[in-house]
Amino acid sequence: MAKWKSLNEMKILSSYYPRLDAPLKVQGKARYIYDISLPGMLYGAILTSPYPSAKIIRIDDSRVRKHPGVRAVLTDVHPTGRIRYAGEEVAAVAATSPEALQEALELFQVEYEVLPFVVDLEAAMDEKAPRVFSDRPNVRKPREREEGDIEKGFAEADVVVEREFRTQVQVHVPLEPHGSVVTWEGDQLIIYDSTQAVHGVREGVAKALDIPVSRVRVICEHMGGGFGSKLWAGRYTAIAARLSRQAGAPVKLMLTRKQDFLGAGNRPNSVQKIKMGARKDGTLVAFYAETYGTAGIATNANVRLPFIYQVPNWKHIHRDVFINAGGGRPFRAPGCPQASFSMEQMMDELAEKLGMDPLEFRLKNDPNTTRQKEWRIGAEKIGWSRRRKAPGSDPGPVKRGLGMAASIWWPGGRGTKASMTIYPDGSVEVRCGTQDIGTGTRTLVASVAAEELGIDMRWIRPLIGDSNYPYSGASGGSTTAPSVGPAIKNTAEKARAALLERVARNLGLAPEKLTWQAGSIRITGSQSQQLSWKEICQHLENEPLEVHGEWVKGLSSAGVAGCQFVEVAVDTETGQIQVEKVVAVADCGLVLNRLTTENQINGGILQGISYALLEERYMDPTTGTMVNPNYESYKILGAMETPEIEIILYDEPERGVIGIGEPPTIPTAAAIANAVYHAIGVRLRELPMTPDRVLNALYQEKKV
Amino acid sequence: MPVKKGSSGISRRDFLKGMGTTILSTAVVTGGGLVPDSATAALLDDTVETISGRVKISLRVNHKVYSVAVEPRTTLLEVLRERLGLTGAKPACNRGECGACTVLVDNQPMLACSLLAVDVRDADIITVEGLSTDDTLTAVQKAFVEKDGLMCGFCTPGFVVAATALLQKNPNPSLSEIKQGLSGNLCRCAAYPKIFEAVQQAARTMQRGK
Amino acid sequence: MFPFEYINVRELTALPDYLEKDGEKSAILAGGTDLLGLMKEGLLKPRKVVNIKQIRELRGIRDTRKGLEIGAATRLSEIEQHPIIQQQYPVLAQAVASIATPQLRNMGTIGGNLCQRPRCWYFRGQEYHCLKKGGDMCYAVDGLNKYHAILGGGPCYIVHPSDAAPALIALGATVEIFGPQGKRTVPLEEFFQLPEDNLLRENILAPNEVVTRIFVPRPEAETRSLYLKFRERQSMDFAITSVAALVQLRNGKVQKARLVLGGVAPIPWRAREAEKILEGNSLSADRIQQAAEAALKEADPLDQNAYKVILARNLIRKAFTQLQNA
Ligand SMILES: Cc1cc2nc3c(=O)[nH]c(=O)nc-3n(C[C@H](O)[C@H](O)[C@H](O)COP(=O)(O)OP(=O)(O)OC[C@H]3O[C@@H](n4cnc5c(N)ncnc54)[C@H](O)[C@@H]3O)c2cc1C
Ligand code: SF4
Ligand code: FES
Ligand code: FES
Repeated sequence: MAKWKSLNEMKILSSYYPRLDAPLKVQGKARYIYDISLPGMLYGAILTSPYPSAKIIRIDDSRVRKHPGVRAVLTDVHPTGRIRYAGEEVAAVAATSPEALQEALELFQVEYEVLPFVVDLEAAMDEKAPRVFSDRPNVRKPREREEGDIEKGFAEADVVVEREFRTQVQVHVPLEPHGSVVTWEGDQLIIYDSTQAVHGVREGVAKALDIPVSRVRVICEHMGGGFGSKLWAGRYTAIAARLSRQAGAPVKLMLTRKQDFLGAGNRPNSVQKIKMGARKDGTLVAFYAETYGTAGIATNANVRLPFIYQVPNWKHIHRDVFINAGGGRPFRAPGCPQASFSMEQMMDELAEKLGMDPLEFRLKNDPNTTRQKEWRIGAEKIGWSRRRKAPGSDPGPVKRGLGMAASIWWPGGRGTKASMTIYPDGSVEVRCGTQDIGTGTRTLVASVAAEELGIDMRWIRPLIGDSNYPYSGASGGSTTAPSVGPAIKNTAEKARAALLERVARNLGLAPEKLTWQAGSIRITGSQSQQLSWKEICQHLENEPLEVHGEWVKGLSSAGVAGCQFVEVAVDTETGQIQVEKVVAVADCGLVLNRLTTENQINGGILQGISYALLEERYMDPTTGTMVNPNYESYKILGAMETPEIEIILYDEPERGVIGIGEPPTIPTAAAIANAVYHAIGVRLRELPMTPDRVLNALYQEKKV
Repeated sequence: MPVKKGSSGISRRDFLKGMGTTILSTAVVTGGGLVPDSATAALLDDTVETISGRVKISLRVNHKVYSVAVEPRTTLLEVLRERLGLTGAKPACNRGECGACTVLVDNQPMLACSLLAVDVRDADIITVEGLSTDDTLTAVQKAFVEKDGLMCGFCTPGFVVAATALLQKNPNPSLSEIKQGLSGNLCRCAAYPKIFEAVQQAARTMQRGK
Repeated sequence: MFPFEYINVRELTALPDYLEKDGEKSAILAGGTDLLGLMKEGLLKPRKVVNIKQIRELRGIRDTRKGLEIGAATRLSEIEQHPIIQQQYPVLAQAVASIATPQLRNMGTIGGNLCQRPRCWYFRGQEYHCLKKGGDMCYAVDGLNKYHAILGGGPCYIVHPSDAAPALIALGATVEIFGPQGKRTVPLEEFFQLPEDNLLRENILAPNEVVTRIFVPRPEAETRSLYLKFRERQSMDFAITSVAALVQLRNGKVQKARLVLGGVAPIPWRAREAEKILEGNSLSADRIQQAAEAALKEADPLDQNAYKVILARNLIRKAFTQLQNA
């Protein structure tokens, strides 16, 4: 099986090195999708429904078509004409300038039959609630999973805790909105898309337009963030392509920030009713959960319970519920922050009932050997012994507390292909149809190739973000590094072998006489000599070497374990929770680049804090629309909320590359909730933990 | 558009002069849509000026004077991106809420999405592309690269400009002053810790350079 | 944005000629940070936009013997960074420093800050034709109201978004207004209007009037002041509740007290009863507590904003305790 070099043999990988495209990005020279401008390009936009539930009766576009500057109009962008959420596509237009476009949008006259709607999770579960889909009830069939015998389990339990938790809808809103620039070259469609999956979008758009995949090319050189919301083709891309075909000109169609909030994905909410029991000695014996949640008009609001702990007898029943709101999409570790929020608080509550330290209780019930070590490392770093003070016992209005929670992740690497061309002058192109969503994939491609060839990264030109390049999957599920890294290594290995063979042939030597040595070839035997990289490549003469490689086993693995410890200060007069410090012990297998890895982990934690304390989609009950589709009132974390973060990279290089992007966002909200309890002695079981909730909880329980 | 009050059919040249625009030696004229279709810009007298329809204005961006056709409603961000091809400043919210469009206007960080182009005619505008006068990186840009003060990088130009302005005003900021100074810029990838490190490093380099 | 005519007026006297009596038709443009947002959302479609930033009288800060004269078109950052304001008018410097973001403070003006429209999310959304926009219902009452008014509300429950206003009122500021009839000066406190008096606007300005200057009397000796702003997010957020507090303490006795709350009412909310409780007494914990209770006595929260009552009381206590210890 393939193997990575050992750490001390590595010259580039596993160290700190800056990303290759950073200079372009800091100078504003990197062209994102929003920045692309093609000759004769039109500006496109989508008219969306202001109503959450309606039938489109008639669209009058006569005034739109007559408006100066308008070049294409579509009134059939909605597949059925039955609107199911405010923000759904109704019509589209392309015009010669942004101003003409704005004016044109106002000229559509749409007649709707406005229908009853439901936007509240619990209201939607009522038998009498309006149906989101007329042919299906709002509540979907339960999904049940179980192991062991929960009745027996609860019978064995000495202590049982039963609680209800709630988590909110979180919206991805990457800084670059969703959108595409498209152009037809004959019957070939070229799409520049802000995406996490050039190959996936290619297939999706081909299908939507009913054209062969081979006629579609998707390019994404730089894109401004996705977090799961850009994993597949959006309707807007096919709409842009149709506008472009109609107008005979390229079209840029970027969603507005508001449209991005309404219809470009979200993390579903959840209500979780959980009962859990343990024996006196601290062994978990039974777990029962009923959960439900809504992904709007989509499905999969599931919560990954019972999370990481070993419970011999457990059962989880989940129900998805439809409401008239934009569909959920995978969001950084789908289903996990929700599960961690409830389960880790249950763990603390049970520990308290048992009179055990939460750390001790976890060590007892966590089956993962890596995490067993990580818990101890993190506890040491945060100073867990300070957890002994009684909850809420600090004097004065500002109270501090400590909390902890675990993270987990599964997928590893998977099929990815790559190709490499080595030119006689020594320069190298590496092609892989992956994309860089901010994780540093472009740099990863170059660094793995350089490491394996034993040469400086300057020789390497990494080419990614184009569906013309060899297949690679979506950048999702933390699979990119474990998929792409091995594929590039495999390709480079093949290139080395091919080079060696070529040199041997040219020199008329048996290949066994030649060995690779850090970027050079050593020839043993009578005329012992060493060929430099340049000299090696000269042997290619006029024919560049091209090799293909792919993901192979042995260089990556699945399964990630980690944990976080958090210290908070809660102002009991204002309800403000301030995260003061986070210690993250991150399981990271073989780290390819420490700098970008740390950055990813920071990002995961900070998005977790944002989820814990700030973010929430608010749906108006009267109109069924989102009232805060903007960065002013949908509050995401900023500079002032960024605490001190200490990252401990728990390397296990022998495991190869694992995914690290998603796990760090899983435990943060839960750890904060546990720390808040320790600080104020009151549990918050609903996200986000905003000041109003903190104050209400404190005053209800008369803790102030 | 009718012009109110004793309009005296003032010529374009007078109009420009009236605006107090200094024409620098390197006047750059950009392609596309330059000829005003319905220019009605006029100085009614010294005290009032009206502009409607499409007019040509000059803007001083990154030490060059550009002549561009705009409407009163055109924002500075639209001019930079759509007319001048300067796409460093980003439209991430278009409402003054995120800082991605931050540029320097007379050395002060401001939001290009929330400024009318006609309102900044006599200002010095510096975008992220113009921070460095040659091809090298500024100390701030270099530090962002070395400390990895970015992930997807869409917010980065805004942060770089805001950080540059911050260090101009306060060459040796504390961590909390850095946070304050960057509190108008959102990063959804949340690269903040590395951004703070970058600003700290840039401050050190700039101090040493003095 | 909709097309409009841009009018750049450089002389104050010429201004009224260019402003329409009908508020929908013309709009004053200062920093534009609020106005452009409203126009982009399609909430306002003025045919004329009148720039006032080049009117000399409207710019700058003058420090006179009597106090400050601040031109309405003065940028917020100039006020924030003004050394005399920082030293002698801390409540104002702190309030202004807490506004929005560094970029927005470089753009926004003090006049614009006082005249900005509410942030109620229904008001800001095109979808909601609410009372304040001439419609027939307030969506907040049965809707989402965690950020809305607990005092002085009805039939509309906005909170006034300005941070500068409570501070200026605590300092006893007056505003100078210029219009077709010439100049008038009113106490800033009387500038703002409750929805029950004026549903469509938040202040007494006629559409063809402009705020020209703000006068801030110099605080008497031994005056202390501060601004406490509570927000959910420290990086850019409007006040959930804020407190502008001022006391003149002589020999341990409160000669004069001013308490103005932000974020709780459709206007900056002066708590006169609380002031009376404090005046003539020492700033004891008891007195402060009484004052805090009195300030919120009339509070009538909606469904989701009762926490603001607690919050406001606590902030008032905190503010005066800090002033006592300063
Ligand atoms: C993202 C964001 C966050 C913000 N956060 C805060 C905050 O935390 N605290 C806070 O207090 N404010 C906040 N604001 C509001 C901001 O402070 C105001 O937008 C700004 O002060 C307005 O000043 P301006 O000069 O830009 O006004 P403009 O936008 O030019 O004008 C605002 C309004 O006032 C009118 N007007 C302006 N000047 C005058 C005058 N002299 N006479 C009569 N009418 C006039 C205009 O016609 C318009 O209706 C925020 C704004 C944004 C966009
Ligand atoms: S509070 Fe006022 S602005 Fe908001 S919805 Fe009600 S009436 Fe409209
Ligand atoms: S785009 Fe200007 S502040 Fe967001
Ligand atoms: S780096 Fe992606 S938004 Fe900041």
